[in-house]
Amino acid sequence: MAFGISRNVPGSASWQALLAHGEHMRGRHLAELFAVDPQRFERLTRESGPLVLDLSKQRIEEETLQHLMDVAREQNLDGWIARLFGGEHVNCSEGRAAMHWALRLPADADCRVDDVDVVKQVHAELDRMETIVNQIRAGQWRGATGEVITDVINIGVGGSDLGPLMMTEALADSRKVTASPLRVHFASTMDGSQISQLLGRVSPHSTLFVISSKSFSTIDTLSNAETARHWLQRQLGNRQGLLDCHFVGVSSAVEKMTEWGVAEQNQMRLWDWVGGRYSLWSAIGLPIALSIGMDGFRELLAGAHEMDEHFRTAPWLENLPVLVAMVGVWNTNVLDINAHAILPYDGRMKELPNYLEQLEMEPNGKSVTRSGDTVGWATCPIVWGNVGPNAQHAFYQLLHQGTEAVTCDFIMPARRYQEKRHDAAAPELVAQHELALANCLAQSRLLALGDAALTDAESMPAEKRYRGNQPSSTLLLDELTPHSMGALIALYEHKVFVQSVIWQINPFDQWGVEMGKKIAVDTLARLRGAECGETDGSTAGLVRRILRGG
Amino acid sequence: MDLDVYGDTLCALVSAAALASSGNRVCLHVPQPELAERLRVGKCPYREPGLADLIVEQVEAQRLRFAGFAEPPSDQSVVVWLALSPDCLNSAHGIIGGLPMTPRRDWLVVNQSTFPVGSTEALQASLLQRCGGAEVDCAAVSLPDLLTEGAALDGFMRADHWLLGTGVEWARRMVYELLRPFNRRRDAIMLMLPREAEFTKLAINGMLATRLSYMNDMANLADNLAVDIDRVRQGMGADKRIGDAYLYPGCGFGGQSFSRDVMSLASTLQHSGIQPQLLDEVLQINERQKEVLFRKLWDRYGTHLRGRKVAMWGVAFKPASTRIDNAPALKLLEALWAQGVEVHVHDPRALPALAEWAGERDDLVLHDDPYAAARGTDALMLVTEWKAYWSPDLARLKAVMKTPLLLDGRNVWDPAFMKESGFEYYGIGRR
Repeated sequence: MAFGISRNVPGSASWQALLAHGEHMRGRHLAELFAVDPQRFERLTRESGPLVLDLSKQRIEEETLQHLMDVAREQNLDGWIARLFGGEHVNCSEGRAAMHWALRLPADADCRVDDVDVVKQVHAELDRMETIVNQIRAGQWRGATGEVITDVINIGVGGSDLGPLMMTEALADSRKVTASPLRVHFASTMDGSQISQLLGRVSPHSTLFVISSKSFSTIDTLSNAETARHWLQRQLGNRQGLLDCHFVGVSSAVEKMTEWGVAEQNQMRLWDWVGGRYSLWSAIGLPIALSIGMDGFRELLAGAHEMDEHFRTAPWLENLPVLVAMVGVWNTNVLDINAHAILPYDGRMKELPNYLEQLEMEPNGKSVTRSGDTVGWATCPIVWGNVGPNAQHAFYQLLHQGTEAVTCDFIMPARRYQEKRHDAAAPELVAQHELALANCLAQSRLLALGDAALTDAESMPAEKRYRGNQPSSTLLLDELTPHSMGALIALYEHKVFVQSVIWQINPFDQWGVEMGKKIAVDTLARLRGAECGETDGSTAGLVRRILRGG
Repeated sequence: MDLDVYGDTLCALVSAAALASSGNRVCLHVPQPELAERLRVGKCPYREPGLADLIVEQVEAQRLRFAGFAEPPSDQSVVVWLALSPDCLNSAHGIIGGLPMTPRRDWLVVNQSTFPVGSTEALQASLLQRCGGAEVDCAAVSLPDLLTEGAALDGFMRADHWLLGTGVEWARRMVYELLRPFNRRRDAIMLMLPREAEFTKLAINGMLATRLSYMNDMANLADNLAVDIDRVRQGMGADKRIGDAYLYPGCGFGGQSFSRDVMSLASTLQHSGIQPQLLDEVLQINERQKEVLFRKLWDRYGTHLRGRKVAMWGVAFKPASTRIDNAPALKLLEALWAQGVEVHVHDPRALPALAEWAGERDDLVLHDDPYAAARGTDALMLVTEWKAYWSPDLARLKAVMKTPLLLDGRNVWDPAFMKESGFEYYGIGRR
């Protein structure tokens, strides 16, 4: 590893105790842990609201949790939680607060930061969003020629794409019928792949574009928006009201929205204190609200708020985000596991792994502490995943029999297909859901127990044996609803924050993604034939080949 | 014969009066007692030549009496004649469920209502369930309403043709007997299965709707090509293969018979899984067409409608009606309101229905006088072609309007004359 061995940790007493306990646990197999303790599930399962967290397939004992909480205490986790919820500038490198939790406060909450009534501000913006959402959903948002808007294309990238996309797909069964058909699409990639496909399918008369960019300077988004604007002008002519009727904007940079041409009444705001990857709770979540209605969106916020309160107030040994985070620290820094798979057993959550890749790796993919020193320990593992049943046909082979240790999060709703719309096909679909649940349980069991899950494993040839002992958590949702999804995502957000505290890093900046964009500006000039300074041999060579046409 | 007719549709009134006039004793069951009172004194809600007089005549001859829906059929009655609104399928089942069952009292149910295909068979099933083992013969037959408004009475008494849907021989004989006085010149009754009769009625409505949507499609093209659709319409109508009925473009058609529920074959026979593709498209074009005047206004004012005032003449789904079911005016109102437009409405007879539908709201003002509705407005939309709107006092109209802008949803005015009179004029496919 580039940064010394991962088991390097701050040399404090609680860490030393944790490592010592780790030595004792490292030799133990999950099969054995289950065999010796019939109460293991009861001991290591916690609940909050719609979520059940089963940690019994992690390579821990109750004592492990005590050691982990000692570490958390020593890292002043309570102090950090208080600072987060106090609106302090926990994003030290950019001098900002991180108050995504404030986006989910109920209207009657009390929250003033720097003499600003945050609740009032947030709810005023939600009301504004509601007006726009209701008009579109009522089939009364009109294009420049007076046609009803039937297609909404969200142009955004990163947090302005992954969150809304993930949530819109996840809540497909919570969709509420609209007055006339309403389809929501997403265009993110800077190469125009999606926007060009979409523009071929929709009518310019009835398409509304949402330009979603916190900074309103993201080149990927602005270039897609430019393409959309030119397309409209070509198709409809440069007529009155073209921009007013076909573009709404969500950003914290109001002047830039205005400058681009987004009409004042079509602007929705967010604030500096919302990080892009935490922004789906703001007007960035417009596509979600368009799909499930504003009531559904408010349920989503309520679910997340409940998790905020749980995180803020529950004792750590009962606290889902703290437990998930600290068990992650255990796996990373004590058990040396540097890969983490997200495995939802529900196709509606197919974008969740993508979303969590950003939510975990952007904040915690760091190697410098808050005080500017190089960390001496491992931080965020590599996070990836896929819908579980599909991943079974892709990378589960490696999980079961490869050489890498991998931790997994299995996520599934207990009940599904309860909605009225599934009435006719319910028996078949419920059977399919049961099949998925059974697979989820079987896979996590086999990963944990290995050969012990089989009968007569010893008689099998080596290539049919299972090592097991791959740790996993199972998150069981009561049902996949706006409320439970709100709680689930807030849980992961807080998990990431807790880990950042333990690793002593700032999870709210992302300087690593900046420089590449800047270099691209020079490279673009080079590609367009300008005389530029020196570059490396590979870049120069590839540019030559591209200019020659391959 | 004694028979009981149910419904307050034009078809119900015509059938009851006509059947009484041939000597039957008819009891007409209507939902509201006030309607019975009004009919008794010659006030008919439909302006149908001869109908009001015929009703009074039959009442005086004691062959026609009135009753409520809940009242059971007359003692001697063996025929239940249903001519209900398209949305009253449940009432139809309710009426059948309430029929008295006494030994050897057979029941014939004649269904004239425009219900989804398959409904008469469903009524037949209800009827059999009601009879449940009693030693009686029961049958429901379909006899779709094919009346043309304005010639409805004549259409019954001297029908060009009837569609009779039944597979039951005694029921067929009974209907033939009832229609005998109106079926003399030649046998005009075409016999088929109940669902075939219903389907034929639906196919007729579908064809009419298709012609209208087709013309609207043409009119929207004409708008963009500077062609006067009215000349095109006359040219098309002169072709004998086409004929000139149902070729008038306009701002959409309404009414219950053309509603999605009735026109969709899916309702009763949906297990076939087959949807009518063209008809779906036709109805969709019509829904879009209902907003055509809104789009013209939107375009004329450069998408800025907030705070404007618009007058609307006519909200009934067709002239001479008090009803607003699926009326284009309703979609227009919603579109205008959503943009912050205040709408001033005049309609000779449909204002009560509109008031009930809309409830109390600031952006809707109802007027008894069409010129009062137009006062201070930025545009006048003609939505239902009541005769009284055809030749308005143009000088007065121009004087009261803020902007003399006419949006003629029925092409009743002459574009050139309106322009000479100082108006800005937009019709459907002509200006």
